[in-house]
Amino acid sequence: MNGPPGGGVSRRSLLKLLGVGAAAGTLPLTTAGCGSGAASGATTLRWLANKPEVLAYFDDLATQFNASQARVFIDHDGTQASIVPQFVRGVPPDVACYNYNLETSNYVRGGVLADLADRPAAQQINPSYQALVDQYATYEGQTSVLPWSVTAAGVIYNVQLFADNGVEVPTTYPELLAACQRFQAAGVTPIYTTARDVWTLGQGMWDYATGSGADVPAFFKAKLAEGDTSGKPTFLETFRPVMTNVLELRRYFNPDFPSKTYADGNLAMGQGRVAMYLQGPWALGEIAKTDPDLELGTFSLPMTEDPDDRAVRVNLDLAMWVPTASADVEGALAFVDWMMTPEVCATYNQKNLAFSPLLGAQGTTDPRTAGLAPYLEAGRIYQGAGTFVPNTIPLWNYFQGALLDGDGDGMLRILDADWDRLAKRSALA
Amino acid sequence: MSATRPAAVTVRRTRKKVDAAFYLMLLPALLLFTLLIVGPALAGMFFSVTNYVGYGEYSFIGVSNYLVLFTDPRILRSYGFTIGFSVVTVLLVNAIALFLAVLLNSRIKFKTALRGVFFIPMVVSGIVIAYVFNYVFSTTIPAVFGGSSILANADWAWVAVVVVTAWQAVPSALIIYLAGLLAIPEEVYEASSLDGASPWRQFTAITLPLMAGYVVINTVLGFKNFLNAYDIIVGLTDGGPGTSTSSVAMTIFTGFTSGDYAYQMANAVVFFVITVLISIAQLRIINRRGVSL
Repeated sequence: MNGPPGGGVSRRSLLKLLGVGAAAGTLPLTTAGCGSGAASGATTLRWLANKPEVLAYFDDLATQFNASQARVFIDHDGTQASIVPQFVRGVPPDVACYNYNLETSNYVRGGVLADLADRPAAQQINPSYQALVDQYATYEGQTSVLPWSVTAAGVIYNVQLFADNGVEVPTTYPELLAACQRFQAAGVTPIYTTARDVWTLGQGMWDYATGSGADVPAFFKAKLAEGDTSGKPTFLETFRPVMTNVLELRRYFNPDFPSKTYADGNLAMGQGRVAMYLQGPWALGEIAKTDPDLELGTFSLPMTEDPDDRAVRVNLDLAMWVPTASADVEGALAFVDWMMTPEVCATYNQKNLAFSPLLGAQGTTDPRTAGLAPYLEAGRIYQGAGTFVPNTIPLWNYFQGALLDGDGDGMLRILDADWDRLAKRSALA
Repeated sequence: MSATRPAAVTVRRTRKKVDAAFYLMLLPALLLFTLLIVGPALAGMFFSVTNYVGYGEYSFIGVSNYLVLFTDPRILRSYGFTIGFSVVTVLLVNAIALFLAVLLNSRIKFKTALRGVFFIPMVVSGIVIAYVFNYVFSTTIPAVFGGSSILANADWAWVAVVVVTAWQAVPSALIIYLAGLLAIPEEVYEASSLDGASPWRQFTAITLPLMAGYVVINTVLGFKNFLNAYDIIVGLTDGGPGTSTSSVAMTIFTGFTSGDYAYQMANAVVFFVITVLISIAQLRIINRRGVSL
């Protein structure tokens, strides 16, 4: 991470030059932020937190923290720019509350983040959430990232339609099929699918089905282990039963599913025409735009005959980290400590349909997502199988193709071939 | 052309050496071109023989990226799609543009207004056009004619991409054809109509041969643009269904966010070489026809 070892001197100095330019460009903004509340002598720290829906909430948090102490001044940066160039230039944020995914995990692997293991909050975090961080990347046993907000996703269902048709929430795959048949006979679309927007398939049917139908964390742990590809599990043998079920479920989709988009799905669900819809909590607000009073619930998609196989797809929507290159690591850590207190962390999660990673803390109590809470409490959670696949492999497009042509084995074979090709390339390092 | 000729002549007559001022005037453009085009291109070529992921350390791995590239079905498919799509679109665009140019050049009412209307697609951004057509294909057409969206059909989605790309590309070809038609002297047509030539005969025996140079220019420029297809495809199909409409440019772009930077740089270099080869072939044909760009 410290720049090219040799032969790249000119590039490095050029990047440095660009960095200086960029720093000069942000300077007026920074000083403008300082003017309002910074006490003299306080270090200004750039806090990257750019989740679009809650920018104002974060502004408010920064103001609260700045008023509570005089050591550092937190300058909230909500811009949507990519963070890779910031690290390349050597001007990363001083502290961040950022989505944790495969891409962000590169900074963990690169060892450019400070160790947070001795912070008081590190002991307060539910180990099953902390384990999610390590599933993508680790660095010398460090605790480089602290989860701050966990979102969970499952099958959103229309409570009224379930009651009207005498259908219970299915706990096994056969029960799911029976429920679908019941709805179809009653003229209700059992499962609304929006295959035109491939991301809806990726986070939806693919992630939920693989998560409940196979052991996703174990599969990718084996896949990402050292050594060549031989002897490792394959997509084909691990996910074949899941794909068979998924393709069987197609007959319970809306018949026009190949040409429907995310917006169509939210509308259909909001109009009460649909029994089940595979979307995350972000869709709840969109559905409410059509009918704010619609009674909705969420359950985990069953994929096997054993109810205990069901698990819930979670996502470290926001996590705290401090680059070692921070202007004031100690000051930034003090801010992390404050952010991790239940008053700040649990409150945010309660208000934003999310779950707090702190032990014993109450997450969202919204009835629409309450159905997922037991799984989170029991630690029956996984990060979506799609989130482990780098986007150089167009998994979502492959899955879309399989839903259209019905060739599940073909799709899994292509995934295996692409994965091995990528592993071979990476192994050349 | 005529304005520069006397200057060139005087330069040659007064002294053998070209005035330094000309080089000075060339300098800013040269510097900008080197800094913004040549520099990054060379850097890309350099990284294509490494395992660089976009940041951090890297080492040299020789031509491995290139070897893997030629066995990667996803890459090969994207080349197949892009080249096939470009050929079809070039043919379609030129046929339509030439047809419209002849119509817009004939004695019709509201000629200027009509020409203005036909130029509108050129000034609208590709991504906007793509989203509008996305709605038309997915919602309007199925609502009126029934059936499902062509964009959701892996076998036919490419037709939609061709149609929308052509819709946007026709006006620029049209301008060049109109300019070409204006350059054909009216007397030629008068003489041929005195000889009793039908409009079709006039088109095939006079218009088309005299327009040959413009056809070549439109083909070269069009082909180069269509090979780089990106925004319209992203807005229409996002490369799908499956990967049936993924263009080379889209594949290269995935390298920036996925840590597959060096590999896609190798892809970009191969694509660059192919584009250069096609351009050289086309320029040869142009020179044979005695046209210059």
